[in-house]
Amino acid sequence: MTDVSRCPPLTRQSVVEAHARIRPYIHRTPVATCETINQVASTPQAERCPHTGPNTAAEPAPHEHGVTGDAAGCIARPRVKLFFKCENQQRIGAFKARGAFHALGRLIEQDGLDNVKRKGVVTHSSGNHAQALALAAKTHGIPAHIVMPTISTPSKIAGTKSHGADVIFSGSTSVERGAVVAEVMGKTGATLVPPYDHPDIILGQGTQALELEEQVEGLLEVEPGLGVPGRKRLDAVIAPIGGGGMLSGICTALLGTGIRVFGAEPRFEGADDAEEGLRQGKRVESVKTLTIADGLRTPVGEIPWSIISDKEKLAGIYSVTEEQIKAALRLAMERAKLFIEPSAAVPLAVVLYNEEFRKLVEQEAGEEGWNVGIILSGGNTTMEAIAKLFEVPTKAAERAEGKVTVDGDRIAENVAG
Amino acid sequence: MTEVSRCPPLTRQSVVEAHARIRPYIHRTPVATCETINQVASTAQAERCPHSGPNTAAEPVPHEHGVTGDAAGCTARPRVKLFFKCENQQRIGAFKARGAFHALGRLIEQDGLDNIKRKGVVTHSSGNHAQALALAAKTHGVPAHIVMPTISTPSKIAGTKSHGANVMFSGSTSVEREAVVAEVMEKTGATLVPPYDHPDIILGQGTQALELQEQVERLLEVEPGVGVPGRKGLDAVLAPIGGGGMLSGICTALQGTGIKVFGAEPRFEGANDAEEGLKQGKRVESVQTLTIADGLRTPVGEIPWSIISDKEKLAGIYSVTEEQIKAALRLAMERAKLFIEPSAAVPLAVMLYNEDFRRLVEREAGEEGWNIGIFLSGGNTTMEAIAKLFEAPTKVAERAEGVVSVNGERVAENVAG
Repeated sequence: MTDVSRCPPLTRQSVVEAHARIRPYIHRTPVATCETINQVASTPQAERCPHTGPNTAAEPAPHEHGVTGDAAGCIARPRVKLFFKCENQQRIGAFKARGAFHALGRLIEQDGLDNVKRKGVVTHSSGNHAQALALAAKTHGIPAHIVMPTISTPSKIAGTKSHGADVIFSGSTSVERGAVVAEVMGKTGATLVPPYDHPDIILGQGTQALELEEQVEGLLEVEPGLGVPGRKRLDAVIAPIGGGGMLSGICTALLGTGIRVFGAEPRFEGADDAEEGLRQGKRVESVKTLTIADGLRTPVGEIPWSIISDKEKLAGIYSVTEEQIKAALRLAMERAKLFIEPSAAVPLAVVLYNEEFRKLVEQEAGEEGWNVGIILSGGNTTMEAIAKLFEVPTKAAERAEGKVTVDGDRIAENVAG
Repeated sequence: MTEVSRCPPLTRQSVVEAHARIRPYIHRTPVATCETINQVASTAQAERCPHSGPNTAAEPVPHEHGVTGDAAGCTARPRVKLFFKCENQQRIGAFKARGAFHALGRLIEQDGLDNIKRKGVVTHSSGNHAQALALAAKTHGVPAHIVMPTISTPSKIAGTKSHGANVMFSGSTSVEREAVVAEVMEKTGATLVPPYDHPDIILGQGTQALELQEQVERLLEVEPGVGVPGRKGLDAVLAPIGGGGMLSGICTALQGTGIKVFGAEPRFEGANDAEEGLKQGKRVESVQTLTIADGLRTPVGEIPWSIISDKEKLAGIYSVTEEQIKAALRLAMERAKLFIEPSAAVPLAVMLYNEDFRRLVEREAGEEGWNIGIFLSGGNTTMEAIAKLFEAPTKVAERAEGVVSVNGERVAENVAG
């Protein structure tokens, strides 16, 4: 990879320059809003309908059933308007395209296109970074070697191959993949473009925050009613954190703007290593989790850690359960009609279900309320994965629905839509 | 309902006026494009990867497997750029909001708000029209009575109730529901607002075509590369047809523009009554089908029929199989990240898999190609419905994926995303 010491400084200005570098290659993805979800987010959990998700009430009242269990004690009532940055609609279906195009662009600037073409690039990734680098490399006519664990899902392997990358399999431990990457570098002289622990990657990922900031200002000029009364811009942004490339990039992009940045993590099986790390004052170096948020299973990298552990740059990290992630995923799909992957639902889950976060927002946003940006990091999931997440045994479905089958399958006669 | 003879004439100008009436109440939904899907659509079926769907190859080559079966003979290679009108993001998640707001608006113009409030409105619907009318009625403070078959899905019943409508259940045969509707009208004096067989509804639905036409012209001005070379607007549009309110509304809106209008239907169990009717020169009056395109299970209404059977207004109707609808649904979700319901996938299925239609486009569009608008009619489906449509038995899923489980669930160690 490009020598860290030769990289631009991690400043907002550098993110602006990064944006100029990658703009011809990426989409300026849209910003979506959803009044239904705004209303759910602005209703205390204790007052929501408990029908969707366990104790993670997803619909505002009134309903005939009261809320029971943990949610009954959750009375924070933040006033929020949410602005979704649709990186699910980015090239290769995730924000990673930004970092990959930027890192490769900088490599070409430093070494010259001919050299980079001759040597090629290499990385290890099972998912979105693999596809992103494959696309960026193909775009510049550069050979790409992607080391993927044998257990990668076929759809991601296919996606990576479809951009012409040379896919090499390895075992899934870091030792095994490190060995294969080293072998490739030894054989080909390829340059490593890591998934998140590098300034060029961080600066690339940060560009989505610049766009979101501008787009929300633009939206509120034209339609002030979309935001909270009297505010002309974002007050806060919340993004998922796995390796930390995106979150640290966003912190960097929004430095000095007054916009508070928050991180969102799954909690399952220690996936909340960043949150824990902040508590202990020390980066957690190893994570082994099977959270459904499959893009967030990795510990925070060193460079990202140096940014997010700085209270001036990151306001805090909050975590959520698997069920809460599923409930948020459902809402984003069924109500806002946004097709996103589970990792992308984590920040929304924090806004809807993390009571600590909700209390903070209620307090800081006050009567006026906050405009909160939410990064929808990607949409790379499949029908089968959704089916598995939400499968209901037929008998249970029929019981729960009385006479009806799951989708009106017993209609004897046509009914007008 | 407002007496047909007192309705505006079915002309483009009337659609323009309808748009002015409903504009404050509806969303001007976005238009989306997807280069991946453009490429699949512009690749001969015989040259696509057969891996997704049976004989309904969904990915362009190159691949190591050749295409076999029916698709191998499908060599039409139309050049197209597709523009998706995202009515899944409309109020209540479907285009029906337009017709409901328009019909109610016209009723209020004719009878006066006080009268309408006093009498209320009634309709029969199991789906999107029910929710649309419930919302429109609530917006104006008008009582709404919705007669729904007992077998309606709980989510649609809940959606309708959530807008404050009075929901009554009936059996699902037309005799049974008409009896309940008649009873309501007798008791309350409520006015019937039917789901599609009425000019006010048709004019309301047509407004989406005016928007799409303008939006595509604007897009092509700013970014000509998004469309086929040298063309400044749409050449054709494709929309689903059930009762025909939308399709006939679109025909009306685009009269005289030169834009060709095509309809798309499911074929399963006679759901392609419009296509058959056009062949026989006679409207089919009864349909009984369990197609997964649950919004399209109804025969075409009389007034819509009078429009769509006019060759000057509608260029043709094409149908697709259940598997083709599922394959198109998968593509729209997984590649374009658009959360739509099965009925909304039918036009895309025609574009991708109906060889008759593809040959027509290849011929008429020629070397230059066509810009084609596709109406994504709605997004009202649930995680459970998707799970049911795409469930794969675990053993099969595991076999198909070798050692990997469906979502990389055997990850022994974290891998960077």
